[in-house]
Amino acid sequence: MNQRTRIQLDHLFTAATGASILLLLLVLIAVLGPMVYRGSGAVFFSGTVEFRKMQRDLFERADQPALDAEIAETEKVRQAVYEMIDGFKKDMDVEGMSSQVRQIYREFGEELRQKDVPAEQYTKLRELTRGIRDKLEAAFQSQDVNEISRTVDEVLQYADDPRLKDTSAAKLFEIARNFLQAAQRTDLAKHHEYAAGLQEVERILFHSDGLPGLLGPRPNEPLPLLVMLRYGATRWDQAQKLLDRFLWVEQWVQTEPGRPLKMQRTPRADLFPESFRPLFTYVEQNAGGMLNPISTVYWQFFKDDNANSHYFGGIGPEILGTMLITVVGMLFVIPLGVISAAYLVECASDGWVIRIIRMGINTLAGVPSIVFGLFGLAFFVLFLFPLLGFEPRPCILAASMTLAVLTLPVMIRASEEAIRAVPQSYKEGSLALGASRFHTFTAVILPAALPGILTGVILSLSRIAGETAPILFTGAVSLGAVPDSIFDPTRTLSYGSYDMAVGDRLAMMVPHNQYGMVVTLVMLILILNGITIVLRWRVFKKLRGQ
Amino acid sequence: MFVAKTYSMPEKKDNMQITVPHRMSRKSQVQTVVPTNHRWQTDTRAVNDTEEQAIIRSQNFSLHYGSKVGVKNITMDIYPHSVTAIIGPSGCGKSTFLRSINRMNDLIPHVHTEGRLEVVGQNIYDKRTNLVNLRQEVGMVFQRPNPFPKSIFDNAAYGPHLQGIRRKDELQYIVEQSLRAAALWDEVKDDLKKSALALSGGQQQRLCIARALATKPRVLLMDEPCSALDPIATGRIEDLMGQLQSTYTIVIVTHNMQQAARVSERAAFFCLGELIEYDRTSKIFSNPGKKGTEDYVTGRFG
Repeated sequence: MNQRTRIQLDHLFTAATGASILLLLLVLIAVLGPMVYRGSGAVFFSGTVEFRKMQRDLFERADQPALDAEIAETEKVRQAVYEMIDGFKKDMDVEGMSSQVRQIYREFGEELRQKDVPAEQYTKLRELTRGIRDKLEAAFQSQDVNEISRTVDEVLQYADDPRLKDTSAAKLFEIARNFLQAAQRTDLAKHHEYAAGLQEVERILFHSDGLPGLLGPRPNEPLPLLVMLRYGATRWDQAQKLLDRFLWVEQWVQTEPGRPLKMQRTPRADLFPESFRPLFTYVEQNAGGMLNPISTVYWQFFKDDNANSHYFGGIGPEILGTMLITVVGMLFVIPLGVISAAYLVECASDGWVIRIIRMGINTLAGVPSIVFGLFGLAFFVLFLFPLLGFEPRPCILAASMTLAVLTLPVMIRASEEAIRAVPQSYKEGSLALGASRFHTFTAVILPAALPGILTGVILSLSRIAGETAPILFTGAVSLGAVPDSIFDPTRTLSYGSYDMAVGDRLAMMVPHNQYGMVVTLVMLILILNGITIVLRWRVFKKLRGQ
Repeated sequence: MFVAKTYSMPEKKDNMQITVPHRMSRKSQVQTVVPTNHRWQTDTRAVNDTEEQAIIRSQNFSLHYGSKVGVKNITMDIYPHSVTAIIGPSGCGKSTFLRSINRMNDLIPHVHTEGRLEVVGQNIYDKRTNLVNLRQEVGMVFQRPNPFPKSIFDNAAYGPHLQGIRRKDELQYIVEQSLRAAALWDEVKDDLKKSALALSGGQQQRLCIARALATKPRVLLMDEPCSALDPIATGRIEDLMGQLQSTYTIVIVTHNMQQAARVSERAAFFCLGELIEYDRTSKIFSNPGKKGTEDYVTGRFG
């Protein structure tokens, strides 16, 4: 092979290495990028007036006068929506009208009795109003506009009757006129469809049994029990989704027989009569005015407790729980791991017992984590705790101990390698000065092995902070109080992510919270690792004497 | 005297620092160590070993690694305040013998010994021997400089610290004296906090010597202390040995026969685990009694 080929091959290898590193970086960006982007939505978003209301009610965090002004302003814009809906409802409410008519008829009778009208006239008027009532009732039953118009006209010829003027019976004619107008405006045959459509519209705008609406409950309605139903769309992106659902109806229709169904979007306005359609354009054009979105930095996401299974609020207790479990776990892992490694390197001879111990450590490193979870439940929670007089229930201590057992093999292996890598000459030098083996280990070997041991710490730290299965039964809960001590169970980021992912449809509605939790977990591990790496680097530098 | 509680002095003749308080002893030592830089000459040296009693006595001492022989039937006396060189081809057991003197061979599994090896009148392979006391009495310097990954100060103070000296000024004093004794003080006095690993090879080896001296040993074992050093650093270490021999007993293993001839008063020639010849260095190199020794020192083998 000549010189040039060699040089070219050399370049080729360099290029290949560079390309593979670049590929790795791209993969990392492709994996982390979208996750971080979506997770950042939990903190940076466009918050509506509903968000600020929620913050005030749940976390007592508001500029009260400014918020009051804002609410008043948005309510002013919303007023038109309420009026339009109420008006349409009134038009639709035939039964209400008929009961009103009957009520007026009764009231009129009462009025006549109180006035001491002569018996003859009383009977006549009663008959007349009864006739009007029956005609109107008939009109209410009808669906034909012409017939209704005829009947109403018949009724209205009595409108100028002086006997009925200025009495409660006069209201009957008003109802009759309104009904006629409503009948002309809407298609009476479609009343049932309208009613169903209106219900849907109200659900989307205000709230339904399980889902929050665009605007939240109307001002004078009683507050729903579920916290999440008490507020409209708190985030502008959510609002836009709801607005889309409000404006469009999605239907799966069959275009051809034997072909898959196709989704068809039709404007929801088409379902309603002309008179009601302005509502949709109004809401579309004034959504901003009704919700007043302002870009918000919700840094309290990392501090706040959540409300309504993570529908609102932050992940403060989850972060706290993860940190607690990690710290307590590391308190078990580091001493146990280092001492075990020291024993294996310094004290143990190469007998069959040691070989079995080593094999055990290697096997434990490969056991699925759920097995450790079950072990933790059976051993720590159900066996050890009662034995020591603690209440046998899942708690942070049990979870930390389970995780410690899980990561112990990693820690032992890393520490063993680190201790073994310390030059024998250090040990000899120390022993030759008259140091005992214990002193030699603590004063010379351990400091020299510290960078390697810290590598083990990094590995176990990430594992402990991120594991879910071992704490499933030993200490994690999805909802619950913030722990008072390590004898309480806690929420954690890892278990929270899992729980939200498998939990219920709520998680689908708040993907930002789900991603936020996952990204926070990743960042937390990254930060903890970063601290350890800096520490290791400094120890390493100090050992090297730079 | 290596038994922990029965610390007694079997002989006091050669000793001037053990019985006096620590600081006093250091002072007396400082007076004896004169920082001279001139090359120390073998033939101008006064020899009066006949009057002195041996500090290390080996009587039919054998050491086995399992079934392998390390050294066998070594009988030799090593005298105080002198440099004794052990020479011989590779694998002849000279390092093994040296390491036996402060029981560093204990680190190796399956080692067993026969015969007696006395240091200051006591058999160190006795069951009651306190290794900690023995090793403080018999210091060792290794082939490759092995300072701990700590600061220069901490390295030198390691031994005194072990002996329970905690007072800062006392440690400071001891560190300074040992570094002066190892002719390193002037080079490092301004940055005692610096890591020992930042020193050059020769400085590191002198630091190791200072570290050994700080425990006030009577015997200093040197296992090829210059084999990893360049000639200039070697020269400094050899100078140092010349200065130290008035206070300490030095036993040095070396491959370099010129070095043995330069620094030692007596020389022992080992071959295949056995002591072939032990005599004054001048005799070993000029008029050896055994054929093997002659072949080795004249370069016919080895």
